[in-house]
Amino acid sequence: MKKIQGTWGLQWLMRMSPDKQDTLLKMVILTLAAILSFSTRLFSVLRFESVIHEFDPYFNYRTTRFLAEEGFYNFHNWFDDRAWYPLGRIIGGTIYPGLMVTSALIYHVMNFLHLTIDVRNVCVFLAPLFSSFTTIVTFYFTKELKDASAGLVAASMLAIVPGYISRSVAGSYDNEGIAIFCMLLTYTLWIKAVKTGSIFWASFVLFSILLHGECRYLVSSWGGYVFLINLIPLHVLMLMITGRFSHRIYVAYSTVYCLGTILSMQISFVGFQPVQSSEHMAALGVFGLCQIHAFVDFLRSKMSTEHFNILFRSLVLLVGSVVFAAAAVATALGKIAPWTGRFYSLLDPSYAKNNIPIIASVSEHQPTTWSSFYFDLQLLMFLFPVGLYYCFTKLTDANIFIIMYGVTSIYFAGVMVRLMLVLAPVMCVLGGIGMSAVLTTYMKNLDNPMKKEKKSTKKIESNYPLKNEVDCHLCNPTNDSFPVVLHLPLHLGHLRSLLVPSIVLSARGGDGSRIIFDDFREAYYWLRHNTPEDAKVMSWWDYGYQITAMANRTILVDNNTWNNTHISRVGQAMASTEEKAYEIMRELDVNYVLVIFGGLTGYSSDDINKFLWMVRIGGSTDRGSHIKEWDYYTPQGEFRVDKEGSPVLLNCLMYKMCYYRFGSVYTEGGKPTGYDRVRNTEIGNKDFELDVLEEAYTTEHWLVRIYKVKDLDNRGA
Amino acid sequence: MKTRLLTLLLLHFFVSAYCKVNQDTIDGNIVNAKVDRRLDISSHLLKTVTSITLTNKGSSAVRHFLFAVDPTLKDSLSYISASVKDHKSDKLEVSETNVPGHSDKRFYRVALPSSLEAGKTVSIDVDAVYTHVLTPFPSSITQAEKQLVVLETNLYFYSPYPTTSQTTTVITANTNVESYTKTKPVSQSDTTINYGPFEDTVPFSEAPLRVHEENNSPFLTVTYLERLVEVSHWGNIAVEEHVDVRHTGATLKGPFSRFDYQRQQDGYASVKQFKTSLPASAHDVYYRDEIGNISTSNLRESDESVEVELRPRFPLFGGWKTRYILGYNVPSYEYLFNKGDHYALKIRFIDHIYDDMVVDEVLLKIILPEGAKDIQLKVPFDVERRGDDVHYTYLDTLGRPVVVLHKLNLVEQHIQDFELHYTFQRLRLLQEPLLVVGAFYLLFLAVIIYVRLDFSITKDEAKESRMRVSSLIDEVQSAHDRRSALYQSYDDAINKYKSSKDLAAFVLSRKKIDADYKQLTQQIQNLQAQLKAEGSDAAEKVSELQRLDVLYKEQIALAITAAEKLVAGKLARAQYLENEGAITGKCEETYKKMESLRSAL
Repeated sequence: MKKIQGTWGLQWLMRMSPDKQDTLLKMVILTLAAILSFSTRLFSVLRFESVIHEFDPYFNYRTTRFLAEEGFYNFHNWFDDRAWYPLGRIIGGTIYPGLMVTSALIYHVMNFLHLTIDVRNVCVFLAPLFSSFTTIVTFYFTKELKDASAGLVAASMLAIVPGYISRSVAGSYDNEGIAIFCMLLTYTLWIKAVKTGSIFWASFVLFSILLHGECRYLVSSWGGYVFLINLIPLHVLMLMITGRFSHRIYVAYSTVYCLGTILSMQISFVGFQPVQSSEHMAALGVFGLCQIHAFVDFLRSKMSTEHFNILFRSLVLLVGSVVFAAAAVATALGKIAPWTGRFYSLLDPSYAKNNIPIIASVSEHQPTTWSSFYFDLQLLMFLFPVGLYYCFTKLTDANIFIIMYGVTSIYFAGVMVRLMLVLAPVMCVLGGIGMSAVLTTYMKNLDNPMKKEKKSTKKIESNYPLKNEVDCHLCNPTNDSFPVVLHLPLHLGHLRSLLVPSIVLSARGGDGSRIIFDDFREAYYWLRHNTPEDAKVMSWWDYGYQITAMANRTILVDNNTWNNTHISRVGQAMASTEEKAYEIMRELDVNYVLVIFGGLTGYSSDDINKFLWMVRIGGSTDRGSHIKEWDYYTPQGEFRVDKEGSPVLLNCLMYKMCYYRFGSVYTEGGKPTGYDRVRNTEIGNKDFELDVLEEAYTTEHWLVRIYKVKDLDNRGA
Repeated sequence: MKTRLLTLLLLHFFVSAYCKVNQDTIDGNIVNAKVDRRLDISSHLLKTVTSITLTNKGSSAVRHFLFAVDPTLKDSLSYISASVKDHKSDKLEVSETNVPGHSDKRFYRVALPSSLEAGKTVSIDVDAVYTHVLTPFPSSITQAEKQLVVLETNLYFYSPYPTTSQTTTVITANTNVESYTKTKPVSQSDTTINYGPFEDTVPFSEAPLRVHEENNSPFLTVTYLERLVEVSHWGNIAVEEHVDVRHTGATLKGPFSRFDYQRQQDGYASVKQFKTSLPASAHDVYYRDEIGNISTSNLRESDESVEVELRPRFPLFGGWKTRYILGYNVPSYEYLFNKGDHYALKIRFIDHIYDDMVVDEVLLKIILPEGAKDIQLKVPFDVERRGDDVHYTYLDTLGRPVVVLHKLNLVEQHIQDFELHYTFQRLRLLQEPLLVVGAFYLLFLAVIIYVRLDFSITKDEAKESRMRVSSLIDEVQSAHDRRSALYQSYDDAINKYKSSKDLAAFVLSRKKIDADYKQLTQQIQNLQAQLKAEGSDAAEKVSELQRLDVLYKEQIALAITAAEKLVAGKLARAQYLENEGAITGKCEETYKKMESLRSAL
């Protein structure tokens, strides 16, 4: 009787019924995964501070602040005169407000409860918060697809997959952070709807679609997310082809499509896109097919086979020709938007590079390299096929969906780096299914070393050693071979670079101490306090959002690259000589010009390295036809800033602004003055003065240089 | 209603301020026998020390005298104090006053320490600090140029009384003096310019004094300071200062060249950094602004104070401005005193920002704990008290009262303590923790109710049956556990019997245990029947359990007879032990089986 007093710790657990144990364990694991996914993303806050990162988040932050302070009505009617001078931008009607509304709502609820958290902190912590929600949704998603154990594995993996962490760290306040949550929620509800065929679940899909509109419409403007919109129709189509079409699917899809389209059209920015643009045609087409398929099924059940065949053939012919004619007419009348360039760039990676420089200039839109697949997904790269295999072995309606999702997203992720984010969750889901299936198959065969001592004789299965080996490799840390399960967390080290807010740079000093380059904020803060309230600042569009948010000054172009010609005009000014540039700057009422220069510190993504894009974009419109990319290269076709460099380059405004007085600076021991540490060369044009500009401010490490545009002379010279 | 209250309040302040201003007349009997004035313009302030030797030429005693503010400095006076010569620490009472017929002038009444008898003399030092008196000339300079400033004021001591003899000394920042008024007698040596002595000047005499000097001391001005003091009765006082600073010297003309700035370290008149002293107990210091943390600051702790070296994001040249937030915590025991429910907060009105600081405007907000009442304020100098505010933060329900104070034109001498008295019920400290506890309690209660109660409209038979079965199984398990305990009681009874050999007691205790045992077995039997009715396969396991129990009981019965035999002497000891060993072995085996069955239910 004394034996029942085992270790106390497990005693209470064993006392519970297996049902309760199961629930408890599931909840504990899921909670831990959710906490883990929240806390891993706080790295940059702990290391630096609670600050918004990158570029786009600054715009989102600014609009959120506006929404929180001014209310929804003013937000809806907001005309922003701080950007795109002199055009301005109607913000209320040109963005999908989901992200801002979400955080403004959180902000107001918190403040209503007298939890006085400010808007910035809401914005900074929104992405980690939603990623822990995503972890939970992933669990339910995978549970719908396979079982709870696979769900737990998938959820834990999602919490730490680098491809997702990199887009949802604290401070990266962007649509992606919340869109992934909405996307998975939508898919979960869709699977649920397909499984049950009930309108109840289908109408739930709607709510999430409204949220999901986030990634549907705003981000779809960048092209990559088009396939997400089409994934559900594609799934339905695939089910029809494989002969799995049923009433359940009919009910689910019809409800989702009709209500979803009507509701999403209520958002002013979306408007009639869902029925006009070609991206959404697939959804409409599948909806029609659904009706026909259901009708045909109905007829088949009522008619004899012969009659049915005649009717079927004639119907196919009739409907086919009518649809074709309608599509042709609509396209001719311009009712259906033509295939946009971004869509082509999605299918053909080289399309953008050849045709739209502004798309190609964004590094996120470059094709993915093989190494980044591995760095972003780690072990999941190998578990993904395993998961696919297990999905194929037990094919269901839901499994078809995840297979489609996995296969299409892996293709699109190959086209564009940015879409790695969409791939990461499905990798986790499939990886989770794979891992869980492998473990449940082989775990039984794992011999327990404790047991071994007691029972020396053991029945050995024929393939026992092999199975045992497999499992030892998978999860036994005491084994010599490295446990695969632990593989993922241990490789998170390289993520540290992703977790640094790009607004603050840090480097190691000679004595090993940490040097912080806070030059961006130094410059923006200088602009904020020491320039006239209505000053117009010209800079390359990358910095537009940051300048409006942090310096609160009017800018010409920003990261919402909606007006190509305007950006091109700025590019022309940067690429022209001083006199030409002065004309353009006078025309645009520019007071200050801001450039990023890394030559002193070795910060490589500065404006000189981006300069070729300015030239290309500047030369891409009629007014900039005099700017030819070739002029900026040496006769050998090189882009050089030293003495060999092209004279056009050495005398253009951008060059002069970056290197003004740099010619007399010693940057590195043993090198001549004016040695550029990014290009690793001595600059070619050292001694020059600026005629139409004067240096207004240069930051401590010369990262940001601001010039004031001089007024016209009182008298003509 | 609120606005009316506000106007009433304002009116009240106005009236009280008005009433405070005294009325005085110029006493013709007072004569300034000797006056020495020192005008210190080595910083961006004008600090004057006026030593006045007063003589009472009249017949009656004099209790106070008047100090007239120089007309050139009338609007710049920031701070004034007076003391008897060589008794610096005993401040005399100084208050603003009006003199009929001289409404254009500004007077201060200085109360004498003791009344001045007729014919007696007394020496008084009057310290005054004037701000924004030095004007840069030229008003804008390039980065490499040095800053020149001009002082334009009165050569003579501006007094309502005749002055017999007076001298004026100007102390300049350095030896580079461009020009100065050459009214004789005058002499210059190093950084001092001496004027006088001037004999017998009439009341309110004026003559120009102009000094043009080089002055590169930082012309920093805090244009607006918002100081928040949040008192917590949990032991902490949080102080946060929102500071707007501007370089009010000569403005920068032309470009700012970082290259020159770094190479030659010129920019003489620019402000690169400054030091702020915080209280010695200050901790958790932060230095940030609207766009985040400012990484360029150093903290040095010493015994008297915590020194923070603040570097603004960019050097401040003439005309440039910046804004930052500096915050820290101090323990409340140093500043908060109480007697029962009566509390007194004694803290500085403003704190040190930089040496020789100038604060144009300060708004001080003191946030008291929720429920503080009867707020009374004691300030060392005139302060405008604005209407009280309410502040909400974590876990507040009614909001915290905020006392708002406002004052213009302050300097270092204004760093003085003020007192704020209020009452606060100590029990209210528990309000917020109780609120949290209550909220969680309600949450858990709601979850418990949600989980325990059935909210579904339709009846799910299978689920109900499952739940019934699980509750029955729970009952079986608990009954079985109790029964297992009874086995132990049998053992104990047998052992006791063996040692005491008291048959009657043994029979009695056995009967008792038997009764309990029967009842439990019957209970399990009933439960098993119910389980069977539910169609659960647990019923079979329970019947197996019952079977094993019967086996166990048999072993116990054997043990009892054996024990009885042993006591009666019918059984040899060795045999009994052997017997007992077998029984125990069997018992254990059965028990193990039962336990595994029990947990498998």
